[in-house]
Amino acid sequence: MSTRVPLLQGTLDLLILRTLIFGPQHGQGIARSIQQQSEDVLLVEHGALYPALQRLEAKGWITAKWDISSNNRKARFYTLTRLGRKQLAAESSQWRALANAIGRILGPETTKS
Amino acid sequence: MFHRRKPEDFSAELRAHLALEADRLRDEGLNDIEARRQAHLNLGNLMNQEERFYEASRWAWLDQLRQDIRYSFRQLRRAPAFTLTAVLTLSLGIGATTAIFTLIHAVLLKSLPVARPEQLYTAGDAKHIGVYSGMAVDWDIFSYDLYRHLQDHTDGFEQLAAFQGDPRRIGVRRTGSPQAAESYIAQYISGNYFSTFGVPAFAGRVLNADDDHPSAAPAAMISYRTWQQKYALDPSVLGAPFQMNGTPVTIVGVAPPDFFGDALRTNAPDFWLSLAMEPTVNHGNWVTNPQLHWLYLMGRIKPGANIRAIEAQMQVEVRQWLTSRVSVLGPTAAAQIPHQTLHLRRAASGIGLMRANYSTGLELLMAISGFVLLIVCANLANLMLVRGMARRRETSISLALGAARSRLTRQALTESVLLAFIGGAAGVAIAFAGTRTLLAMVFTGASYIPISPKPDLAVLAFAFAASLITGLVFGVAPAWAANRANPLDALRGAGRTSERSGSTPQRTLVVMQAALSLVLLAAAGLLTQSLRNLAAQKFGFAPDGRVSVRIDPNLAGYKLDQLEPLYQRIKERLSHIPGVMSASYSLYSPMSGSSWTTDVSIDGQPPAAVDGQNLCAWTRIGSDYFDTVGTRILRGRPILDSDTATSRHVAVVNEQFARRFFPNQDPIGQHFGAREKFEKAYEIVGIAEDAKYYKPEQPVMPMYFIPRPQVTPYDNAGTMSFEARSLYVNDIVLRFAGRAGSVDEEIRRAFAEIDPNLTVIWIQRFDKQVANQFSQPALIARLTSLFGITALLLASIGLYGVTSYSVARRSKEIGIRVALGADRKQVVAMVLRNAYTLIAIGLALGIPLALAMGRVMGSKLYGISWYSPAILAGAGIILAAFALVATIAPARRAASLDPIQTLRDD
Repeated sequence: MSTRVPLLQGTLDLLILRTLIFGPQHGQGIARSIQQQSEDVLLVEHGALYPALQRLEAKGWITAKWDISSNNRKARFYTLTRLGRKQLAAESSQWRALANAIGRILGPETTKS
Repeated sequence: MFHRRKPEDFSAELRAHLALEADRLRDEGLNDIEARRQAHLNLGNLMNQEERFYEASRWAWLDQLRQDIRYSFRQLRRAPAFTLTAVLTLSLGIGATTAIFTLIHAVLLKSLPVARPEQLYTAGDAKHIGVYSGMAVDWDIFSYDLYRHLQDHTDGFEQLAAFQGDPRRIGVRRTGSPQAAESYIAQYISGNYFSTFGVPAFAGRVLNADDDHPSAAPAAMISYRTWQQKYALDPSVLGAPFQMNGTPVTIVGVAPPDFFGDALRTNAPDFWLSLAMEPTVNHGNWVTNPQLHWLYLMGRIKPGANIRAIEAQMQVEVRQWLTSRVSVLGPTAAAQIPHQTLHLRRAASGIGLMRANYSTGLELLMAISGFVLLIVCANLANLMLVRGMARRRETSISLALGAARSRLTRQALTESVLLAFIGGAAGVAIAFAGTRTLLAMVFTGASYIPISPKPDLAVLAFAFAASLITGLVFGVAPAWAANRANPLDALRGAGRTSERSGSTPQRTLVVMQAALSLVLLAAAGLLTQSLRNLAAQKFGFAPDGRVSVRIDPNLAGYKLDQLEPLYQRIKERLSHIPGVMSASYSLYSPMSGSSWTTDVSIDGQPPAAVDGQNLCAWTRIGSDYFDTVGTRILRGRPILDSDTATSRHVAVVNEQFARRFFPNQDPIGQHFGAREKFEKAYEIVGIAEDAKYYKPEQPVMPMYFIPRPQVTPYDNAGTMSFEARSLYVNDIVLRFAGRAGSVDEEIRRAFAEIDPNLTVIWIQRFDKQVANQFSQPALIARLTSLFGITALLLASIGLYGVTSYSVARRSKEIGIRVALGADRKQVVAMVLRNAYTLIAIGLALGIPLALAMGRVMGSKLYGISWYSPAILAGAGIILAAFALVATIAPARRAASLDPIQTLRDD
């Protein structure tokens, strides 16, 4: 099993928005998708996920409605709004700039012997 | 933009998550139980999740309120004695205020039950009542001719209606009914009366312009109340012929149940007749004589019309009309034409008849009940504070355990507002009962009470607001105390302190209560003394053992030449009733609510320059009149049987008349008359002592008494009309040996014997008739006393509470003092000193307030000045005495403390 790292403060919102760009998804699906796309590196704490969804919904970046999941269960599906899309674009470029800058400071990764 | 989510929805989402996650874990190969356990673990504490969602929503707020209310109920149940006291005091305070408000609302605020009442305007303020024939100056009463003139020439009204300002009794009998005619109130109205109000008939049709025509078939409308009470909603009344004062009239419609006419009045009309019916039914000339003013106006303005413009136009029209009649009016009146004016007033709540009579009294009562409510608030705040102190430990523990101060404050306020609402609900019940009693007292002797005691929406809203405000007012202090509680007290063992008597807010409240009680006691004292003066004044006649009987031979169709035999027969027949010492009659008896007045012209003196300058009351009387009512003749002779229609015209005048017109001469042998050029009409033959005929609080007017049948042929149609009408004297007065018992039957039988068509309008004992004139001041004095005593009791309870509380808290200190050698007297003196300091401050604040209150009441007082040191001192002494009673028990308790015991405690 590979090492899992907890999410950095403030990144969960960005990842949720990013996940929803592919279409409506429910909470469990979002958590699952983040984990898979990061190749199981990022661990989404389920306990933090729902308050985050709540927050994003309140900000109007996502909307929600009850629907049936692929395996036939009722679930609350979240959809990205136009406002959410804009927010995603802004936050993504910010994040990239930040990651680049930090990467340059830290330099290339050294492998432990 | 988005709907607040319910907690249930959030829980459902979490459950869905668990199911989906378990599905996934199963797919990865875990067994069912393991998959579910893992899903739960991943999510973390479910409860915690839900809690976090919930905290952030407003549902928490509502739920906390529910908790607060439930908690408050629990607290109140735990202290039933406190709760009962609080609810009782509150219900008294709120109930009294609401009862008074019910009256204020009905008399001063409520709109007429008609279409768009805000468009209604009337002319003047109904100062003139009845039939008037002078220059009204600020015109509020109009003759038919003047009404038509205004109607034809004023542009701004959609409609302008006129109606009899003072509806009177007529004899009514259903044609073919075996019963004798009964007396009912009828009002003459213009044909557009109902359409001006926009009021449709409840059944049948309303009177219209076609009915208001001399040649129209005689038609009348009946009020729903009369239809219900007298005819049991019998549908055959519609279209049925009735005899009204002997004239056949058909009932064409019933007015709506809530319609009571153009004003709140105790003589609310039972029947409406068109103005054109007045000559036949009333046997009068009110419609045809342009000089007789007896109609009030009610106009519905056109939307957007300018009131000031209409008013200005009408002022000009009144002067024009008067100018066109100068030849009839005479030079004195003509000179006054430029001073005649008219003012339009809003009439959404009708003509202000009762407003004028009751507004000051009601406002005074409202202020007083407001004071009582304030005292109730102060008292409850005190009780709550004491409770708060007792619960201080509890509060401190709550704080120590992490309760938010804001939550505790809210809890305290919730409790007081809840109490106030319970008290308010009970108060509405008390108000209902109270209003009923109030109404019965306000309208003593009235055949009809125009106000319903049932609380309507406005009254309920008032009670609700009063409760809420009360709850907030008396809850603020305890809430503030809760907010200031110190969590450390919980650890220290709260409740041990040696601070001086009570806390500052508590002492302030006692001071306030003492001050307010003083104000109310002083007001009650002033009003009671004023009432006593009113009732004990020298009336100039003897109310005891006299009975007055009101009749109206005009209504029974008597002609002028039939009157003398009728009155002689009445006098003769009634004298034979057992126990009757003498019988006589007059146009109106003293304190019957009627008054006839005129300007007189004295022989050898210049005539009145303006209307009302030589105003005198006058009446027509029979022989033996002065003996029968108990008025002494001071000089000369009374009216005798020998004063007939053809004998020399004579008059008896009262002292006031003599003083006013003959200050330096002997009035006997002098002459006067009711108009210029008729100065020789009557010769004064006697002087009677001053007697009050009209309002008991007004000074006696100059008055003259003339023999019933002596008529002066005046040259003026208006004066002549009064002259003719005054021959039909209304009041028969009987003097009994000793007290008049139940003589009604005897009297009715006598009248039935004389003429069954002669309707007896009322039979009244004189003392009752006099007392009726004080019913309003008596009511106000009694209520103020009642409120004053309530306030005093509440203040005493408050003082008792604060004193016993402070004694309890200072027991240790007192114990030490006693142990150090203070004797019992010193301890008692110390406690009393503390209590009396509060009372003294209360007095210091209350005295200027009481003086201000007296100043405001000044105009309502009779025979006593608003500045009455005796009454103020009396109120202060009563307050001090009650304070002594309230503090003596706690003081003795303090004195009997066992020092060893108190020091050993804790």
